[in-house]
Amino acid sequence: MALLDRSAWYDLARTTEWTPTYITADELFPPEMSGGEGIPDEVWATYDEPYKVTYREYVDVQRQKDAGAYSVKAALERNDLYNKADAGWISILKEHYAAVALVEYGAALQESRFVRWSKAPGMRNMATFGMLDEMRHGQIQLFFPHEYINKDRQFDWSHQTMWTNNWVALGARHYFDDIMMTRDAVETSIYANFAFETGFTNLQFIGLSGDAANAGDFTFSKLIQSIQSDEARHAQLGTPLLQMLIENGQVAKAQNHIDVSFWRSYRLFTILSGIPMDYYVPLDVRESSFKEFMQEWIVTQFIKSIEDLGLKKPWYWDIFMRDLDEHHHGQHLGTYSWRPTLWWNPAAGVSPEERDWLEEKYPGWNDTFGKVWDVMIDNFATGRDEKTIPGTLPMVCNVSQLPIVGTPGRSLHDNTLVHEGRKYHFASEVDKWIFEQDPERYKHHKNLIDRFLGGDIQPANLEGTLEYMGLGTISEGGVDAHNYLWVDAYKKRLVPAS
Amino acid sequence: MALFPISSKFDGDFVLKLVPVDTENTIDEVAAAAAEHSVGIHVPDQPGKVIRARAQGSNQPFPRDMRLADTGLEPTDTVEFYFSEA
Repeated sequence: MALLDRSAWYDLARTTEWTPTYITADELFPPEMSGGEGIPDEVWATYDEPYKVTYREYVDVQRQKDAGAYSVKAALERNDLYNKADAGWISILKEHYAAVALVEYGAALQESRFVRWSKAPGMRNMATFGMLDEMRHGQIQLFFPHEYINKDRQFDWSHQTMWTNNWVALGARHYFDDIMMTRDAVETSIYANFAFETGFTNLQFIGLSGDAANAGDFTFSKLIQSIQSDEARHAQLGTPLLQMLIENGQVAKAQNHIDVSFWRSYRLFTILSGIPMDYYVPLDVRESSFKEFMQEWIVTQFIKSIEDLGLKKPWYWDIFMRDLDEHHHGQHLGTYSWRPTLWWNPAAGVSPEERDWLEEKYPGWNDTFGKVWDVMIDNFATGRDEKTIPGTLPMVCNVSQLPIVGTPGRSLHDNTLVHEGRKYHFASEVDKWIFEQDPERYKHHKNLIDRFLGGDIQPANLEGTLEYMGLGTISEGGVDAHNYLWVDAYKKRLVPAS
Repeated sequence: MALFPISSKFDGDFVLKLVPVDTENTIDEVAAAAAEHSVGIHVPDQPGKVIRARAQGSNQPFPRDMRLADTGLEPTDTVEFYFSEA
């Protein structure tokens, strides 16, 4: 059967629109679900997605992508990557799958809301494919780690994490609920598709892909390349909406959406990408530092895309640039120190050679974060095990839900706010500013410390907290990825010369 | 007597830590409780020195024998701890 050329029918099919007669336009597209107040009705039909695809084309390409990823997995299963790969790399897999797989199903719901509620017919059409993309991402990122569960129960977190009260899950849920699940179609697309997907998924999915190939994990490399090829398409959903806001006198609102989402995304990715890239990826296969990846993908490319639209860098740009040298180093010290609270085994990444690399990439590291590691290493090297895990909890930010960290002696600071009689703590003045943008949105949430002090966690000690987080239930918590073998180099230095 | 959580910002540490103390504790006792979670864990000891405490952002340390209840601090306020000659 002859097929019409796509260009002959696509625009007509895409712009086929509802004409409500029994209900009002607001009942068809309720403002709280659809958003876009102040955008004239005739503007929605002008939404022009930059990436056009038909269902037939989509299915054909997606089938090829799946065939490619699954066939690489099948071919390499006998390679026994789990036992051959560096333990730091295995930890990256555990952290990635658990933090990402179920969120992909959340993203499918996000896209499905666009399919129903977006007032722009072009967006509804494109989001249908985005929804199918995210279903594929959820399925494939649950299937791939499944082969490891019989070797290591920590891989079970791939499916379990988002149902637990693990502190990393609290942070991820707070973030994704904020940007992806609880806003109208216009805001969600700017927060999630434009700021998060355009900017930050590149970091994890392209940045880590090169490291994966270098580490010999071609299965993971192929998988995340396959996923990113979808992200690159549906991430573009938000750009036409930003243009609409700007062209219809809502520049300040567009800028505010970018400023909030950019910082929230950045802080979460210090855990998801920052720590693995600078500490877990084996030194001999590391492509770039987290800061270098950030400079390439975010500082250069993403900011160009913002400025091309006529928007500005976020107001906190100087703070952000300083933070690139600091925050994820503090978060690594925190996650490693409280390693029993993790579902993966963190690599310390501070052997003498690795410290040289850190000092080269982050001048001054040895005089700041390195001094804390000196104390910890001394405890490991001299067998003071009781000193290697803190006996209390860190203070946690009421926006990012991450521990409040800083550069020792320089930038550690508690930013506080009393709102309706309750005191909130923030990890930065930007987190505090985000709270102030919409206190109604954020004020009810209780972070881990609020729950601990409020009696929600019993018994109120480290053991009770671990159980609350699912450690010891789903799997055991984290231990050093390399069984402290890296400490040997420091032990030798303690042996007096004969 | 009442349990009173504070946030400890110990000089040289990288993270704020939750430290449970008591309203009847003196500042020296509060400092000792904070030190238990930082000194020798993330911060090197400085034998021979004392640990002083002040409200975050303040220049003046609290008197060492002052009761926590008399400092004006609220629960979960951040207290800065630092080694001092006296």
